Amino acid sequence: MVIVKRKTLTLAERLYLPEILRGMSITFAKMFKPKVTRQYPEEPLPTNEVTRGQPRLRQLIDGNLACVSCGLCEAACPAYAITIDGQETDRFIEREPEKFEIDMLRCILCGFCEEACPKDAIFMSTELELAGFTRASLKYDIDKLKRTMPELAPRMDYIKRINERW
Amino acid sequence: MTKIIVNGREVEADPQKPLIAACHNHGEHVPHYCYHPGLSAVGSCRICQVEVKQGEMPARVVAACRTPVAEGMVVNTDSEGAHGSRRECLEFLLKNHPLDCPICDKAGECSLQDYSFQEAQAEGRSSEPRRKLEKRKDLGDVILLDQERCILCSRCVRFMEEVPKSPQLCIGGRGSHSVVETWQDTPLSGNYQGNLADVCPVGALTLKDFRFQARVWNLTRVPSTCSECSRGCSISVEVLRNGEVKRMRPRPNEDVNSYWMCDHGRFSEDELNRSDRMEPAALRDDAGQLTAADPVDALRVVRNLLSVQSQALFLASPYLTVEEGEALSKLARSCGTQAAFFSPEPNDLRDDVLHTGDPCPNQRGLQEAGLTPMGSEEWAAASSSADCVLLLGERLLDMLGDEALEALPPTQRLVVMECRASDHAAVDVAMGIPNRVERSGTWVNVDGTAGAIRAARSAPQGVRALVELLADLTTTSGQPEEALSS
Repeated sequence: MVIVKRKTLTLAERLYLPEILRGMSITFAKMFKPKVTRQYPEEPLPTNEVTRGQPRLRQLIDGNLACVSCGLCEAACPAYAITIDGQETDRFIEREPEKFEIDMLRCILCGFCEEACPKDAIFMSTELELAGFTRASLKYDIDKLKRTMPELAPRMDYIKRINERW
Repeated sequence: MTKIIVNGREVEADPQKPLIAACHNHGEHVPHYCYHPGLSAVGSCRICQVEVKQGEMPARVVAACRTPVAEGMVVNTDSEGAHGSRRECLEFLLKNHPLDCPICDKAGECSLQDYSFQEAQAEGRSSEPRRKLEKRKDLGDVILLDQERCILCSRCVRFMEEVPKSPQLCIGGRGSHSVVETWQDTPLSGNYQGNLADVCPVGALTLKDFRFQARVWNLTRVPSTCSECSRGCSISVEVLRNGEVKRMRPRPNEDVNSYWMCDHGRFSEDELNRSDRMEPAALRDDAGQLTAADPVDALRVVRNLLSVQSQALFLASPYLTVEEGEALSKLARSCGTQAAFFSPEPNDLRDDVLHTGDPCPNQRGLQEAGLTPMGSEEWAAASSSADCVLLLGERLLDMLGDEALEALPPTQRLVVMECRASDHAAVDVAMGIPNRVERSGTWVNVDGTAGAIRAARSAPQGVRALVELLADLTTTSGQPEEALSS
C-alpha cells in the first residue's frame, strides 16, 4: 500500500488568485521574448556541414561512383541497413558496386559507414526527411543514393578537417 | 619425440618437422607466409622468427620454419627481439605491397593484413613510389595473378612442384623485378589450380570464379564433404547471406585430403545454386499435367502404388547418405525387394593425387547400408520389367538422362524424388528433396573413412528431407488410409 502525503497549502496558495497572477506573469513575459518554436514543415530546420543526415554516395566527376564495394560500411553498420554486391569493372579501380542498397527504415544515421569508408565514397548528407507509401520504396538503391560532389562538398571538407586533427 | 620448452611450457615435438610445426601444434601461433604445413619449407619470408636458446649459447632469433627441433631447446615466440625482427621483415614486404585491401578478394583472410595489424607500424616510412607491375595477369581458366600484391613467398611454385607434381610456375627476374610467372606465359593446366588461391597468403593469386563475388567476412563457413568423387575430401562450404553457395574450400584432414582438393570438386557449386528446384510435391492430374499437390496426398499415392504394384524398383542416387540408404533399404525390404543405387561409369579425371575417378561419393556406405550397385545396362534391364519405378535422390535424372526415362514402358508408374525440377512426361509423382548443402548425413569414402555432410542453408519452403519421406512411407505401408492423413 502506498500512502501519498498531501502537501498542506499555505494561506496564499489557498487564496487562489495570487498563484494565478504569478502564472500569468510568466505567460505575458514570454510573449515579448523571441520565439523558440519553429513552424517545421513550412520552415525547414537549419542544416550545416555537421548535420548528420541520411548517408549518400559520392559520384566522381565522370559520373561513376567512388565506391569500390569493399563492404566496410556494410560491416560497420550496426543496424544492418546496408547490402552491397560487387562486380568487376574495366576502370582502374577494378571493382564497383553492382547493387548498393540502404534500407532507410533501418538506418539510424550513426555515421559509422562514413567513418569506415576507405575511399571517401559515402557521406552523411543534410537530407533528413523520409517518407514513403511502402517499405520497399524506402530501400534506396544506387540511383536514389548517388549525389554529385558539389552537393556533398561541405560535408567532405568537414570530414577532411576533423580527420586531420587526429 | 623431442622435448622442447615453448614459452615456458615443456612440450613434445616431432623431430621430423620444423620448429614452427611444434609451436603451432601446441597452440603458440607463429606468423608465417612461406611456410605451409603441406609443403616443404624454404625460409624465404623470414616472418616466422622466434627467439631460441640452446645450451650455453646466448639466445638468438631464428626462422622457425627452417630450424629443426633439438632436445632442450628453449623457445620464446613472444620476445622483444623476435617481434622486432618480424616488424622489420614486414616493413620490407609492405614496401611494395599496394593498398588494395578495399578491392582485394583476400581481404579479411589475408595473413599480410593480419600480421600487419598485429606487428607493423601503421604508416610506411618509405617515400619512394611503389613498383608498378601487371595487376590482372591471366594464368589460365582458374587463376588470376596480381603481380603487385605478390610477396614472393614461393608457396605457389612449391605447390605446383610438390603436390600435382607438374612444375608450371617459377619466380622469374631478379631483385625487385622478381615476379611469379609461367614459362612464356603459358596458361596453367591441371586439376589442382584452385589450391593456388588457397596457398597464396596474400591476394596475388585469386580465383576467377570467386573474383569480386563476396567479401569473405560475409560468408558462413560450414564444414562438409566434397561430393564429386569417392575420395570425399573434407571441405568447407561457404554461403552468402541469401544462401547462395559462393565457394568451396578444402579443410585440412590428414587422413583424406591433406590440405588440398581438386578443381572438379571446388567448382561444383553451380549445380547447387540452380533455381529450377522441384516442387515439394506434384501429381499428374487428369489433364496429364504435373500440378503441385499436398505432400501428404503425394505420399499417399506413392504408398498406394507400392501396395498395389507387385514389382517395384527402387533406384537411389549415388549421392544418398548412409542414413538415407538405411531408410531406403528398410522401405524396400518392407515391400519385399532390395533397393539399388545407380553406380555411374568411372570418369577420366582419376589421378595420383586425390581424384579417384569414381563419381559416387558414398559407394561403400550405400553398399554397407544394403543397397546394390546398378550400372546403366542393369538399370535398362531392370526398369523395363518393373511395374513401378522410384528414382530417389539428387542428380539421378541428369545421370540417367532423358532417353532412359523415355525408354520406360508407358504403363509403368514413375515416382521421382529429386532436387531439380523435371516435367518429363513419364513422371507420375514428383517430390522435391533437399540437396547436399541442405541436409546432414554421412558419406563413406573409398578408404572407408566417414565424412559428414552438413546443412549450410535451409531447404526450399515445404521441402522435406528424404529420410523423413522414406520413414513415412515405411511406417504407413500396409496401414489403413486414416493413419496417413492424421
